[in-house]
Amino acid sequence: MDPALRAAASGMTAQQTRTSVIANNLANVNTPGFKRSRAHFEDLLYQTVQGQQVLGDPDTQTAPAIQVGRGTRLAGVQRMHEQGPLETTSRNLDIAIEGEGFFQIGMPNGEITYTRDGSFQISDQGVLVTSAGYALQPPIRIPVDSSELTISNTGIVSVRRGQDLQPTEVGRIEVARFANPSGMLSLGQNMLAPTAASGQPVVGFPNDAGMGRLQQGALEGSNVEIVQEMVEMIAAMRAYEINSKAIKTSDEMGQIANNMTR
Amino acid sequence: MPGPVRTNGMSSAASALQMLERKQQVLANNLANVSTRGFKAETTFARTMGNALAVTDTAVNLSAGTLTETHNPLDLAVEGDGFFVIQTPSGERLTRSGSFRLDPERRLVDERGNAALGENGPLVLPLGRVEIDATGLVIVNGKPTQRLRLERVAPGVDLQHEGGTQFVPDASRQSIPPAQRHVHQGFLEESNVNPMSAMTEMLEVLHRYGAAQKTLSTIDETRGIAVNDLAKPV
Repeated sequence: MDPALRAAASGMTAQQTRTSVIANNLANVNTPGFKRSRAHFEDLLYQTVQGQQVLGDPDTQTAPAIQVGRGTRLAGVQRMHEQGPLETTSRNLDIAIEGEGFFQIGMPNGEITYTRDGSFQISDQGVLVTSAGYALQPPIRIPVDSSELTISNTGIVSVRRGQDLQPTEVGRIEVARFANPSGMLSLGQNMLAPTAASGQPVVGFPNDAGMGRLQQGALEGSNVEIVQEMVEMIAAMRAYEINSKAIKTSDEMGQIANNMTR
Repeated sequence: MPGPVRTNGMSSAASALQMLERKQQVLANNLANVSTRGFKAETTFARTMGNALAVTDTAVNLSAGTLTETHNPLDLAVEGDGFFVIQTPSGERLTRSGSFRLDPERRLVDERGNAALGENGPLVLPLGRVEIDATGLVIVNGKPTQRLRLERVAPGVDLQHEGGTQFVPDASRQSIPPAQRHVHQGFLEESNVNPMSAMTEMLEVLHRYGAAQKTLSTIDETRGIAVNDLAKPV
């Protein structure tokens, strides 16, 4: 009975993990630039039991070898980098990336992290920073006397200085892309860090050679779809229940076996 | 020379108990994999050995699972028969799980990092929009690259499960002609375990197990009477 019990227990653990992934997705349904994750399972190794053997002579028969699986396990939690919906905010420092690419953010320790969350602000130093206060890289400095800040699709940031009629270019936003963005490490605060699995960043200008283009006055919403997550949650709960029933049945069979000798 | 199997009620009931335990193990594994994408359930059936002993036999149920839309361009599902071919450290394996991704070298790989095989080996995708048509042809930015390998085995072949939703290929494997392929991009095949029928089967197993145990105890009691009571002086 033991293998059946353990297979069912592995099924319950799997559904628990699935539920935590769904819960995190649902919690981030309003997080700008958030990318949903999904849990992926695989079956465990199979054991061949009952081998082949000759039992009777006149009518020689062999017992068929059967394979008994040992349950399931988590193969991975995959982040899905589909485009989230663009939500118009009309705030001129909100920038959404439409297509592939990440903003590069300089952390206090000198490392570069990557984000899709484009709700920027101007710091006391006059540079563009994220809502947590980390500077966009390469730094974009906005002069004090500027007005009418515009950001083009290709990342050129221009302002009108003082009484000038012509806008002045003050910098250009660069974006980075990865071969396998799902392989990046989530750092929290909407930040991602590159890993060996994601590959090295390829930096370029927006709307150039496969990079996404920028959209000023819009934010990329979370790509979590509530209905889809709810359906997944119901499925996970039922699967959890079913596995607990398998445990109960196996347990009852054990009891029956135990009752054989009184 | 071993003699023919001589069965008695006791050993028949015992083998029935064992058969049902195996069946329960297989059912528990199926239920544990109710949300494993690309999983194929094992069906169990009893077989008589000689004229009385029951043993379990299993076969992989290759019926299709439902296709779920995921909108992820690297999620692929096969409609009808056919398997993707992947390169694992222990050789080529067949799988129905089409949840692929790109590795740092932009090769198309599965969850474990095993390369998916195209007609000319592993697929390396250039930058750009990936489209995969019904025949498994991978098109990047409108330029065709390679066609994925899709194989089938002879009908009725019992494939060996290997874990990780992989199957060991059988000698009868053959490539599917492109005209007969139905690959769906942006879809994944769910597990084909039917929880309702698995639960019903489990209940059945439980009750039969109880019945077999009663049979065994009854035979034991009968023998007890024969041994203890018949010999008693009246």
